[in-house]
Amino acid sequence: MNVKKGKARSVFIGVCVAPAVILFIIFMLIPTFNVFKMSLYKWGGYSNNKEFVGLNNFKILIEDMNFFRSFQNTVLLIVCVTIVTMALALIFAAILSREEIKGQNFFRIVFYIPNILSVVVISAIFSAIYDPNNGLLNSIIGIFRGSEKTPILWLGDQKLVIYSLVIAMIWQAIGYYMVMYMASMASVPESLYESANLEGAGRIQQFFSITLPLIWTNVRTTLTFFVISSINLSFLFVKALTSGGPDGATEVFLSYMYKQAYTNSSYGYGMAIGVVVFLFSFGLSALVNFATKREPLEF
Amino acid sequence: MWTEVVAAFENSHPGVKVELTIDKKIEDVISPSMKAGDYPDVVHLATGREAALTETLTKENALLPLTDVLEMTVPGEDVKVKDKIIPGFLDTLATNPYGDGVTYYAPMFYSPCGLFYNAGLFKEKGWDVPTTWEEMWALGDTAAADGIALFTYPTTGYFDAFTYATLASAGGSDFFNSCMTYEDGIWESENATKVFDLVGQLAKYTEGTTVANANNDNFTKNQQLILDNKAIFCPNGTWLPGEMADAPRADGFEWGFMAIPAVNEGGAGCSFCWFEQMWIPAAAQNQDMAKEFVAYMYSDEAAKIFAKSTAIQPIAGVSNYLEGDNKMFYSIYDNGATAVMGGFAATAPVEGVNMLDVLCGTVNSIVSGDKTVADWQAAVEEASDKLRAAME
Repeated sequence: MNVKKGKARSVFIGVCVAPAVILFIIFMLIPTFNVFKMSLYKWGGYSNNKEFVGLNNFKILIEDMNFFRSFQNTVLLIVCVTIVTMALALIFAAILSREEIKGQNFFRIVFYIPNILSVVVISAIFSAIYDPNNGLLNSIIGIFRGSEKTPILWLGDQKLVIYSLVIAMIWQAIGYYMVMYMASMASVPESLYESANLEGAGRIQQFFSITLPLIWTNVRTTLTFFVISSINLSFLFVKALTSGGPDGATEVFLSYMYKQAYTNSSYGYGMAIGVVVFLFSFGLSALVNFATKREPLEF
Repeated sequence: MWTEVVAAFENSHPGVKVELTIDKKIEDVISPSMKAGDYPDVVHLATGREAALTETLTKENALLPLTDVLEMTVPGEDVKVKDKIIPGFLDTLATNPYGDGVTYYAPMFYSPCGLFYNAGLFKEKGWDVPTTWEEMWALGDTAAADGIALFTYPTTGYFDAFTYATLASAGGSDFFNSCMTYEDGIWESENATKVFDLVGQLAKYTEGTTVANANNDNFTKNQQLILDNKAIFCPNGTWLPGEMADAPRADGFEWGFMAIPAVNEGGAGCSFCWFEQMWIPAAAQNQDMAKEFVAYMYSDEAAKIFAKSTAIQPIAGVSNYLEGDNKMFYSIYDNGATAVMGGFAATAPVEGVNMLDVLCGTVNSIVSGDKTVADWQAAVEEASDKLRAAME
């Protein structure tokens, strides 16, 4: 009787998870496998002229200086965007959930708005902000340094332009992470803060000794999000804002991959870049996950 | 326009039904089914687009030769297709991509590229339109005193037409073709050096904020500089006045258009002629009807429909259908400028090497001073070497 029941149960579970498993295989595993397979071919992407070249694409890749530049840019973006966004999002979240300030809801909405805007809209906004002559940024700076001086080319100076992207990406991301941190801060029991208050702990000390340790699992999860979304979003921003220019100065992983796979008709090579991106983001997430591992605190 | 042409084609060919797919980004619409093996019969898609579908198929040898289309008589008329097309349009690398004399792309709508300027500004200031680069630099110095820059460009993408024209002007059409077919050392030759130095010099006269706006989001700001009298010349194609039709402009603004001035003293100026292409995928199913359709494109009936939307085909006598600004654009070659056509020869794809990126994209670095002209020239020659090895 029991055996029969157990079997029926397994069948039921199997039927329930089957759709998800099938979809996962079709839309995740097979395409990923294909990316790995295609990276071993020389192929334009359309015709039947596929030529197996083994690891040749990777051999070319490690000598491709343009690829390394896109690598550097991506790493820079991940590091800068993650650190600044996380810091600001944590501060804002702490202020909005712990302090009683006027217009709390208003600020929540305002901070979250960039996240629901499309990247193309954000790019248009930042194009206007960075405009050399009439832009917000140069106009404000012009008050202090005199408006006669040659304008700062936020999107034209090859040393500056990547930081212009960083600023746009941070502005876009803060709201999202702020909401995530606020959600987990809300579940920290009020009693802990009350006793901390009685024992004379200041607000900053409360933040570092109570809030941060108790939402640590949440912070860890978002770190993985940061890695993935920096890689993905940087492509959109680059496409819309700078097209990889000037002269390749803002080329990132995916924009370079797109350029090689399509514009340069070397699909196989593009897929080799895809493989590197895949392994890199996987490895980095694992590393971050490992480095931030703590014993979860119970409360 | 296309629906009209297709309707006319169906009328003249009873029993034939043409399925029409039109999209601004047609690559995205047709390529998924092409990857799955379902190919359209005829595709009208120019080279030089970002997705480079035409180039990709060319590099993969997936196009049908159009030799017998050229020998066909135009449906409803008694002229052969090849006799109807303006001479010169069928022996360029833009129709015969492998440089072997076999036509794969049918030349469709063409438009000359050159330098646009405000003719009103020249009248107001009493300047003469420069015809040589010496006069150009002199004008640049004069204008600088008035706070007007000599030059701007929408994005570096427009330097393909510009360099093609200057190359042809510097060394003639054989030299131009040698450049386009990656001949060894050609980019370090004397004539090529003239072109690199010219752009290097031009970079010094380029409006200061151009680089910051030379991207897909902001290129119209660079074009606006011409309308606001902040820069004098801007390389572009004939679509520019249409693109900027609603933009505010300085008083007395009037479009002017000229070929690129001669690089050599006493030589001819040049204008690159850009055209769109139509081709038949080798995997198309109804190849005979596809050929018939391509031949029909050159009939007077079709040409008139196209000309109504100012889509001008390289057919003898087509300029009779034109008026206004368009007449001026298409008369650019009447003033002694040579037409330059073609583009880089097709090669097998070379991973990580993109000639146009190296040749045009680097201009931003030249203007901003991040790279020297010598480095640029060396990089172009290096890319040329790699691509030559991949030519068949």
